[in-house]
Amino acid sequence: MANVELKNVSKVFLGQSGVVHGLTGVNLAIPAGEFLCVVGPSGCGKTTLLNVIAGFELPDQGDVLVDGARIGGPSSDRFVIFQEPALFPWLNVRQNIVFGLRMAGVDQRIQDEKAEALLKMVHLTRFASSFINELSGGMKQRVALARALAMDPAVLLMDEPFAALDAQTRDMLHEELEAVWQQTNKTIIFVTHNVREAVRLGSRVILMSGRGGSILKEYPIDLPRNRYLEDVQVVTIASKIRDELRQEAVRANEAGGTDAH
Amino acid sequence: MRTDSKSDISHAQLFLRRHERMRSRVMRLAFLAAAVCLWHFLASAGVWNELLFPPPREVLQSLISGFSDGTLPAAIFASMWRLCIGYGISLAIGVPLGLLIGRIRLLDDTVGSLAVGLQSLPSICWLPMALLWFGLTEAAMQFVIIMGSLMAVTLAVRDGVRATPTFYLRAAPILGAVGWRFYRYVLLPASFPSVVTGAKLGWTFAWRSLMAAELLYVTTGIGSTLMMGRELHDMALVVASMLIIITIGLITDRFIFKLGEEFVHKRWGVG
Repeated sequence: MANVELKNVSKVFLGQSGVVHGLTGVNLAIPAGEFLCVVGPSGCGKTTLLNVIAGFELPDQGDVLVDGARIGGPSSDRFVIFQEPALFPWLNVRQNIVFGLRMAGVDQRIQDEKAEALLKMVHLTRFASSFINELSGGMKQRVALARALAMDPAVLLMDEPFAALDAQTRDMLHEELEAVWQQTNKTIIFVTHNVREAVRLGSRVILMSGRGGSILKEYPIDLPRNRYLEDVQVVTIASKIRDELRQEAVRANEAGGTDAH
Repeated sequence: MRTDSKSDISHAQLFLRRHERMRSRVMRLAFLAAAVCLWHFLASAGVWNELLFPPPREVLQSLISGFSDGTLPAAIFASMWRLCIGYGISLAIGVPLGLLIGRIRLLDDTVGSLAVGLQSLPSICWLPMALLWFGLTEAAMQFVIIMGSLMAVTLAVRDGVRATPTFYLRAAPILGAVGWRFYRYVLLPASFPSVVTGAKLGWTFAWRSLMAAELLYVTTGIGSTLMMGRELHDMALVVASMLIIITIGLITDRFIFKLGEEFVHKRWGVG
């Protein structure tokens, strides 16, 4: 558990047509144990926000604080789950899951115990010895989740992790992720372009502006858990956010648009 | 039921694949036999002098006598031993160097561009320098082999490192793979497919360089045997040596590098 705080964070990139504002003066406080979802038009700086919190990119201005301390670079304490699962094809499922523990020199017996528990948690015990190339997209993301949980990070950063999956698989992974969050109470920052997914999962949803990467609106989601994508309340809130998002996309277009990609 | 039909399908696939493999084996043998027959008829037609164009029978005889008196096995062994040392050194230097050059910009700008330049130099161009520096020694031949294959290995590994997907590089530090651990446990295995390519390319270059190097002076070795055939006007021995060189090339490609490529194909699903 850890709280994350962004103080006046700005980040610019040099693009083909001059300076592109990835983030502009972002102030954001994420209390420990929150499930924060970030939505916004494409190129609004969602991924930049995640990369800055992960430590992959340093902000040009402002500070990123975790439990009040300024972050250095990337750390296993803020674990990133990418859209591409980024698993290692030369290792099998079990070896992938305990890779971080191995790097940290954790005792072999403890590695084995952790691997068994995590394999069970993500329903992959039968596939422990399979290689990554033999798994489906949903199974790969489960391995990625297990690998992240093995490191017991205080913060989980997820960058559109389920975007490439089919609807049924995504539904199942939503349930699994929600269960993991409820059991471990980790702080999760989840970037998605799917507004309903954000409302389904988040305890708060923030909408980013398409112009220059700032936070446009915040929506606390006070619906009871365990939600479904089809819940009337989920759909209602999502359509409200989506209207706002659509207007914002139009405004961004008229303003000339800034595309961080 | 479902599993039954599935295994039926995989059996059928296996059968088809075996059948195909068998067929290409038969085709290969038939082609080879036809080539030998053609060779035999051309040689016995008497168009060319038999001293310059020996029939297959004489080449076979040359091979048999070479193997029975032990000169050919000794030559093959000497050449392979030389190759193992030179090529081994090339790999031992080239793979780590390629990993570093692929990661460190400054090294690529300096050592990397030097390697690209040297790569364009045919290995036979190193003969004069090898001779003057090392004289008529084993070291001179090793030098030619290493200079001939090192750049190919280094550059292939470098290109593989450069093509490593960004998400591996980003996953590494959050998994605690930093410093030498990053190179050993992430970068090296991640670039394994290109290490295999580099090793294969390097072997080809090393093998060719070795043949050039053995022309330096009379010694034991398959390249030297070839030259000896020239000196003695023993065309059958020349052709026999060439056949041995081809055979060794085929065997290494089929058995040693195939293993690496199959491994890559299985794990990575590409290549």
